[in-house]
Amino acid sequence: MNRKTLMLAAAAAALSLGLSACGADSSKTSTGASTGSGSAGTTTIASKLIMGGPPEFKTRPDGLPGLKKNYGVVFGKYTVTDTGGPVTVSSLKNGQIDAADLFTTDPSIQANGFVILEDPKSNFAAQNIVPIISKAKATDGVKKILNGIQAKLTTDGLGQLLTKVQNQKQDPDAVAKQWLSDNGLSGTGSSASGVKLTVGSANFPENVILADIYAEALKAQGASIKTTLNIGSREKYYAGLKDGSIDLFAEYTGTILQFIDKNATATSPDDVYAALVKALPSNLIALDKAQAQDSDAIVVTKATADKYSLKTIADLAKTG
Amino acid sequence: MIGEVFTWLNDPGHWKDTRFDTGIATQLTAHVRFCAFALLVALIIALPLGLVIGHTGRGRWLIAAANTLRALPTVGVLVLLTVVIAPHFYGRTDTGYLIPTEIVLIVLAIPSILSNTFAGVENVDPAVRDAAEGMGMTGKQVLLKVELPCSLPLIFSGFRSATLQVIATATIASYLPLGGLGRFIYDGLAQQDFPQMIGGGVLVAGLALVADLLLYLVQRYTVSRGLTGRFSKKRIPDARLASVTQAEVAAV
Repeated sequence: MNRKTLMLAAAAAALSLGLSACGADSSKTSTGASTGSGSAGTTTIASKLIMGGPPEFKTRPDGLPGLKKNYGVVFGKYTVTDTGGPVTVSSLKNGQIDAADLFTTDPSIQANGFVILEDPKSNFAAQNIVPIISKAKATDGVKKILNGIQAKLTTDGLGQLLTKVQNQKQDPDAVAKQWLSDNGLSGTGSSASGVKLTVGSANFPENVILADIYAEALKAQGASIKTTLNIGSREKYYAGLKDGSIDLFAEYTGTILQFIDKNATATSPDDVYAALVKALPSNLIALDKAQAQDSDAIVVTKATADKYSLKTIADLAKTG
Repeated sequence: MIGEVFTWLNDPGHWKDTRFDTGIATQLTAHVRFCAFALLVALIIALPLGLVIGHTGRGRWLIAAANTLRALPTVGVLVLLTVVIAPHFYGRTDTGYLIPTEIVLIVLAIPSILSNTFAGVENVDPAVRDAAEGMGMTGKQVLLKVELPCSLPLIFSGFRSATLQVIATATIASYLPLGGLGRFIYDGLAQQDFPQMIGGGVLVAGLALVADLLLYLVQRYTVSRGLTGRFSKKRIPDARLASVTQAEVAAV
């Protein structure tokens, strides 16, 4: 490299720096509103806390913008950790963050005694578990068996099943069978005989357990079952549901509704379910929604919850 | 898309810190700090080791061992170390994440510095070494006054390639809740904000280029001209040339 090229490079560097100093300033419009914490002059509980979660939580409609809109909650700071994974959990446990975005069925919530803050205004859309089944295969017998399962699924119960599979490394199929017999659903019979079904699941443990529960219950009632587990993301398996290569899938009301109808606005469990029933294509139907939900939630440690007496997300906007 | 990337980089709002977003200026400093620390530690470990192994010829297996470190999957080691180390740190500190990151970067930087230093010393012309010993230099003097200056070009090339690797790889700090320019790449992907993602990549590439340019300048003024053969054209002593020709003329 000779002196001329060096000079040229230096000039280019200086020029680009100079240019970047005179571009349009976006911070004035985007942050002006968020700099004031809560109402005039007072400090809210949230403004003393650091929130942690996935990067998109900063921009997602039900993330920081939603918390501000629905509850007037503006955190002091936001740290990007990961999407409901080990980094978020250990950061919350060790006090690098005070509040985290986790999933309600995450076994680490029970294991660490974290407190889920209630969401009375449904900032996070309901995510009740719902079996999506192809109309042709949904005989009365099949519907009765699956709705029987749905009636017994709870968020806590699902969390315990996940603990067995994720933390104790038990076989999901065995855990599914155990759950069915514990809940008196393992009776054999012939109410589903003659039905041929392919049960699919996404590639995360909870969905695999649910698919196993459906599959085992139907098998016990005489159905001929094929399972294709761990298919992958919704983009991949939804096509299979639509064209009939998969007949039954455990879904979450909020996300599947959002997937089918990008403009869906429903957030409460019943509204979301009603909208989903309407939005599904004609060859698919949704059976009963379970009480169990796997949705995003704002989670704090027991110590933080006690210190500020937090029960709901709205409590974060109080002064303290 | 290129225009959007330029607009993103060009927006002073993105350079400043705001309540929920850390600006480019802060992340750039953080990135440089991660890299500088890792490179300094790697240099302190690898340079003396490489010089001694090259000078004595003993412990060559260490070079081979260090080179096998290159095969380690960086992200895997990072996650493993984080799982082991991070739970021991409580409160408002990111030390638990900083230590694994620095270890990974140091491990990445050591092999190229070590093997290049070794190769540099090893490949010094034996005649030069003999001459130094013949002049009565001690082993230490030979190493520091002859072998080290002679191997500087190779040492620099090792350090420069380590610098490039570390600057590029330091983006994985953002896999953990740390800053650095990787933040824009990870967050841009998650938020589907592609100008931000590419902007982050451009900044990393720019930083790598600037760092390499600086190291090139340091190399240019530290490596002996006797090795590079780069003499200033202006300062050729005309008088001496003239006197040589005069002497020749006289001889004839």
